[in-house]
Amino acid sequence: MKRGAVLVASALILAACGAKPPPPPTPEQALALRPADARLAALYETSCRACHAMPETGAPMVHDRAAWDPRWKQGEAVLLDHTIQGFNAMPATGQCATCTPDDFKALIRFMAGREDSAK
Amino acid sequence: MISRRGALIAGGTGVAVVAGGAGAYKVATGDKPEPPSPPSVNADGKLLWRNWSGIQNAYPAARLAPKDEGELALALKTAQGPIRPVGAGHSFTALAPTTGTLVSLDAMAGVVGWEGDAAIVRTGTRLGALGPMLAEKGRALPNLPDINKQSLGGALGTATHGTGTKIPALHGDVTGLRLVTPSGQVIDADADNNPEVFQAARVSLGSLGVISQVRIKTSANRRLRRRVWLEPFDEALANAEVRWAQHRNFEFYAVPFTGLAANISHDETDEPALARGPDQDTEFLEALKGLRNLLGFATPVRKAAAKALLSTAKPETAVDEGWKLLSTERPVRFNEMEFHLPVENQLKALEEVVRTIEKERPDVFFPIEARRIAADDAWLSPFQGGTRGSVAVHAYYRDDFSFLYSLVEPIFRRYEGRPHWGKLHTLRGQQLAALYPRWNDFLAVRQELDPEGRMLNPYLKGLFGLT
Repeated sequence: MKRGAVLVASALILAACGAKPPPPPTPEQALALRPADARLAALYETSCRACHAMPETGAPMVHDRAAWDPRWKQGEAVLLDHTIQGFNAMPATGQCATCTPDDFKALIRFMAGREDSAK
Repeated sequence: MISRRGALIAGGTGVAVVAGGAGAYKVATGDKPEPPSPPSVNADGKLLWRNWSGIQNAYPAARLAPKDEGELALALKTAQGPIRPVGAGHSFTALAPTTGTLVSLDAMAGVVGWEGDAAIVRTGTRLGALGPMLAEKGRALPNLPDINKQSLGGALGTATHGTGTKIPALHGDVTGLRLVTPSGQVIDADADNNPEVFQAARVSLGSLGVISQVRIKTSANRRLRRRVWLEPFDEALANAEVRWAQHRNFEFYAVPFTGLAANISHDETDEPALARGPDQDTEFLEALKGLRNLLGFATPVRKAAAKALLSTAKPETAVDEGWKLLSTERPVRFNEMEFHLPVENQLKALEEVVRTIEKERPDVFFPIEARRIAADDAWLSPFQGGTRGSVAVHAYYRDDFSFLYSLVEPIFRRYEGRPHWGKLHTLRGQQLAALYPRWNDFLAVRQELDPEGRMLNPYLKGLFGLT
């Protein structure tokens, strides 16, 4: 327990010091990633994954913190709006015709590697 | 000789050097901003739906994603009209927008069975996902469109196609289908069973109900050898017929303001796989846009620069399974008009379109695509009655596309073209009836299956001449 607490504390200190984001997933890892929730996973697989798990589409890759950090800083409202409206190569709603705004927020959090929205 | 990618990178440097001062300013400002966007939520709290290119939008009262035919039948029976099925939203025409109910079949996807070499596929399946599903059985769709994001249902409903003189559009390989009507009836149709529904429904713009699954022919999942090469436009025109006869799939793109054409062929091979490599098409488009931004004010200079930059590019070759090569992501958004012309008119129409654009619209930079599609007999198939040659003109999604209507469509109509159902055009009612011998038969089936017009939004009513 004590060792675990030290590790957690170290991680928090590193995070507070602006430690480097974790390395991006390999293309194989990116293809294999899915949200834990089965319904979200189905939405992700049908709509987001075709670009966000494929290198060279220009989309920020799933769980690539270096690619997502500057976007995340724009705030959830901006990212949600870009998702609904479409922005640059991103088509409106990521081509998910039935996703709700809450679905989009959860999908963005997952792709940005921030399933815990407090991160 | 260097690769197209290398030529573009070298070219980009050259352009940047030439640009300098005022030129650099033009490069920086030549791109238009994002087009104005409607609110994400309307005054009634309804969420925006927008098509892929961004020019169509709606605030549907309800969005449904049935999980099976039972749910779909109940939804169609009870939902608020207009009821419109939607796939990936790749149509440029207003087929999907509705203030009523949008029905997505995203939850009704996958291969659910086989009858010999024909696959039974749920129509919510996206084309990009279908390739690997069929490949598991060593099978593939014989032909595919350029973009792999569309749903199978959306692609069939709009007569979406690839290229190949002996290869029909996707719906041409459909041998049976299941249609769920607005009254909740489920109809199985093929050439022997409900043949009129079958001939009407294969290409029906989602106006007869919702097609939940199809039986579609497949071919062996062969490896294809893909070649891309540039050459003078005149040579491409002179050689096009021979190449259509020679290759399994062949298409070429006239690259306006360059004097060049890009040819793409696919042929079956047993050669070992050779990776396609990084996406050069997007870089190619970016370079063409850069030339437009910098030198769009002087066509001769723009042409000379393009030739100098691109004419040394060597052919590109890739070898892989067909579904990985024929259809890809296409991340650059655009608006598009495409007409399907009698083959004897196709190249004349293409030449005239290129000449007109180069004379009138220096802002255009997207290549103009020429393809060939085998005949089939679906009543609203643009390929009904004979092989057709298609010509497609694109405009970057941020750019003005009004020239498609004012300059391009009159040329296509003069050459007896039929419009692609999912792409921009102005044809309606009697104009279409004159192009389709079975037009009235189609309308009779539509009236019988949906007498109250619950599947019709205002666009479809106008298209069918019902207003």
